[in-house]
Amino acid sequence: MTTAAAADAEETKVDYKAVNDIVLRMLEPPGMGWFLLLLLCVGTAAIGGLCWLTQVMNGMGVAGIAHPIMWGVYITNFVFWVGIAHSGTLISAVLYLFRAKFRMPIYRLAEAMTVFAVMTAGLFPIIHIGRPWFAYWLMPYPNERALWPNFRSPLLWDVFAVSTYFTVSAVFFVVGLIPDIAAARDRATCKIRKFVYTLTSLGWTGKHRNWKHYEAAYLLFAAFATPLVVSVHSVVSWDFAMGNVPGWHATIFPPYFVAGAIFSGVAMVITLMIPIRKIFHLEPLVRLEHFEAMAKLIMLTSGIVTYAYVTEFYTAWWSNNPYERYQFWFRPFGEFKLAFWGMTFCNCIAPLSLWYKPLRTNITFLFILSIVINIGMWLERFNIIFTSLSREFLPAVWGGYNFSWVEFGITIGAFGWFGMWMTLFIKFFPAVAITEIKMIMPPPVRDENALDHH
Amino acid sequence: MKGSKAIVGVFSYLDDTIKAVESAKEAKLDYQVYSPVPNHYLEHATSDTRSPVRFFTSLGAVTGLTGGFALAILCSLDYPLRVSAKAIASVPAFVVIGYECTILLGAIATLTALFHFCRLPDIFRKVGYDPRFSDDKFGVVIGCESGQIDEVSQKLKDAGAEEVSVKDGL
Repeated sequence: MTTAAAADAEETKVDYKAVNDIVLRMLEPPGMGWFLLLLLCVGTAAIGGLCWLTQVMNGMGVAGIAHPIMWGVYITNFVFWVGIAHSGTLISAVLYLFRAKFRMPIYRLAEAMTVFAVMTAGLFPIIHIGRPWFAYWLMPYPNERALWPNFRSPLLWDVFAVSTYFTVSAVFFVVGLIPDIAAARDRATCKIRKFVYTLTSLGWTGKHRNWKHYEAAYLLFAAFATPLVVSVHSVVSWDFAMGNVPGWHATIFPPYFVAGAIFSGVAMVITLMIPIRKIFHLEPLVRLEHFEAMAKLIMLTSGIVTYAYVTEFYTAWWSNNPYERYQFWFRPFGEFKLAFWGMTFCNCIAPLSLWYKPLRTNITFLFILSIVINIGMWLERFNIIFTSLSREFLPAVWGGYNFSWVEFGITIGAFGWFGMWMTLFIKFFPAVAITEIKMIMPPPVRDENALDHH
Repeated sequence: MKGSKAIVGVFSYLDDTIKAVESAKEAKLDYQVYSPVPNHYLEHATSDTRSPVRFFTSLGAVTGLTGGFALAILCSLDYPLRVSAKAIASVPAFVVIGYECTILLGAIATLTALFHFCRLPDIFRKVGYDPRFSDDKFGVVIGCESGQIDEVSQKLKDAGAEEVSVKDGL
């Protein structure tokens, strides 16, 4: 056994009590660093809020959105954030059904990321519609004109898909948290904390009957969340693929989007997990093998995404359709070529480095690569939306895009908004799943053979 | 839980906890187990039935499926607007709505059933609960009458309880 492997094995020797000790230590009163981080996030979110206010007061003209690129940066951000959300559900639900043990220490953070990323994504269609006070028109409700939303539109499918996704993810997240909040309640010494945890744990005590129902329900939640992994980004992809626009109207879009979403989401889990692991000394729970497993997931999804990119070019050529062919010439050589080559480097070339084991087990390298991948995945959505809309069928309606500071501010603000929720979450609730880690540990027994009789 | 007294046994080991459960079952005493984590062996020892949560899930899912399709179809019929010679109630386009509503209502029904069967929220009633039961200890609480205290305490000790205490009021 190598020294590193021996150290890793040593680290695995944690018992039930140690798990509580390590995780609940994260909830101790924060230091100055946490407050500074929170201030940075809130400040950035406030900049985004002010930019949105400017847009609401002055109209959509202050954003760069104009004909022909009517979807612009906001829809790019929407797709990006829904994609980020995706891997949380993959890790928490799909890997739960597959009994993948590596999910246990990372799933809580991934699920929190899902919920907060959908909360961020959900803002963008509302920002994009220009008159956010009419956002409720998306909902089918009885009104005096007997007008109903168009159920044949993929945009309405998306309303149902994203709101269902948010609800189910939030339920899965909160149900998973209940026993862990109970553990935090039982350790809390501050009266206010104890009171808040008593209420939020709903009085959970771990009775045997409750565990029976809990396990049954948890399995069912995972079973419900699993088809959502496939459906949400498929429906998002149909926002594009159902439209007769060159570069969008392709049947490969749903699997291509789902793989891309998992790709970016896993990268974001790595981006968040590495500093949190370091700051809160979670090394005994979140080990190198967990990062390596995530790196392998990135290798797989990067391969699928690369294959989808190549297929798009191939089908455009094979279709012999001049509009499709032009679109796929325009992407690498046209006005937005930097986005295309940036995307290709970040999503197809850079992840190839992970085939080399010393790199995929190097935490610093993984952290940098995860950021590179997220930039690449933002560029991918930019590439899909901007290039296709700027070069539709008639050259008379071709056009470019004037980026505005308002869009930039709102884009940055979204990261602040997301970061704010994550920062608050890791200090107030257990960010690593105590119960689920205990579930994969051998239970404490006096006689190893005694359990065989049951 | 039946009985005017609750005898609480604190255990460090799962096999000892299971012994205590079996001993309570043998004596036909009402018991309650607290554990920091769900466990297959413990579940096997304490229960022979499966959770009924799944029936509510099915009910919610079926309601969601029919409700989703009904919503889309009835809304289309209420304001008929034919597009590209397609049927007013164009079912393939409504599959997504039906699918999403199936999942949404199925999950909400599961959550409601979970809270119902676990009697949550249950903030104040904690007979014999010890904060260590969410940490690394197992607890077996047996309900009995005043005359049975010694007998039940002895059963828990024999099973391997590290601490045994008597609580009032169930």
